[in-house]
Amino acid sequence: MKNSIKVQRAIQNMTQAQLAEKAKVSRQTINAMELGKYVPSTVLSLRLSVIFKISVNELFELEKQDWVK
Amino acid sequence: METNYLLSSKFKRIGLIILIPSLILGLYTLFTDWEPAFFDANVLGIFIEDLSGNNQFIGMVENNILNEILGILVILGGIMVAFSKEKDEDELIAKIRLESLVWAMYLNYGILLLAFLLLYDFSFYWAMVFNMYTMLFFFIIRFNIKIWRLRKAVSYEEQY
Repeated sequence: MKNSIKVQRAIQNMTQAQLAEKAKVSRQTINAMELGKYVPSTVLSLRLSVIFKISVNELFELEKQDWVK
Repeated sequence: METNYLLSSKFKRIGLIILIPSLILGLYTLFTDWEPAFFDANVLGIFIEDLSGNNQFIGMVENNILNEILGILVILGGIMVAFSKEKDEDELIAKIRLESLVWAMYLNYGILLLAFLLLYDFSFYWAMVFNMYTMLFFFIIRFNIKIWRLRKAVSYEEQY
């Protein structure tokens, strides 16, 4: 799964620490998501969509391997 | 996300204060058979089989209770260290916690399987004694290494 968290964060001029505080998670989690090492829960995804004021579908994108069983 | 199966983060320090001395003393008593007379006591036993093979259901046994006390303290301290919340506990840490727990269980039973195949009599008994405690330690070690690496990776990362 791809995500545009880093891009959105740059657009809104937010540091990882600031986003972490708003999303109620640690900075490690923001970093791991941006590096594609962690897929967030639905709750956290929705929180990010509220913070960035965009839909979840704009923030996350499925890749081919996400369809592999 | 709110988890209700973890202890408050302040128990981690209390756990360490209990765990470290009782672990050191416990290993010492194990290897040296140190049994100070002060800890000799008559205690309640449920299933009692003495050395001559006599069985008894519920009765009093004479026993040195130092190793029991230390064993209890190691387990309680270990559980506090293992299952206290991190200060920044969140869903990523919960995932690492779960992975570490499964990993510790595989490793612990892997070692026990090897002990079944390779150790007999008293050697097997000793492996079992350690196996009772090692699952907690494997978990604590692996979980903390993972968390430490995670935090280190972030501290290298620049802010923007």
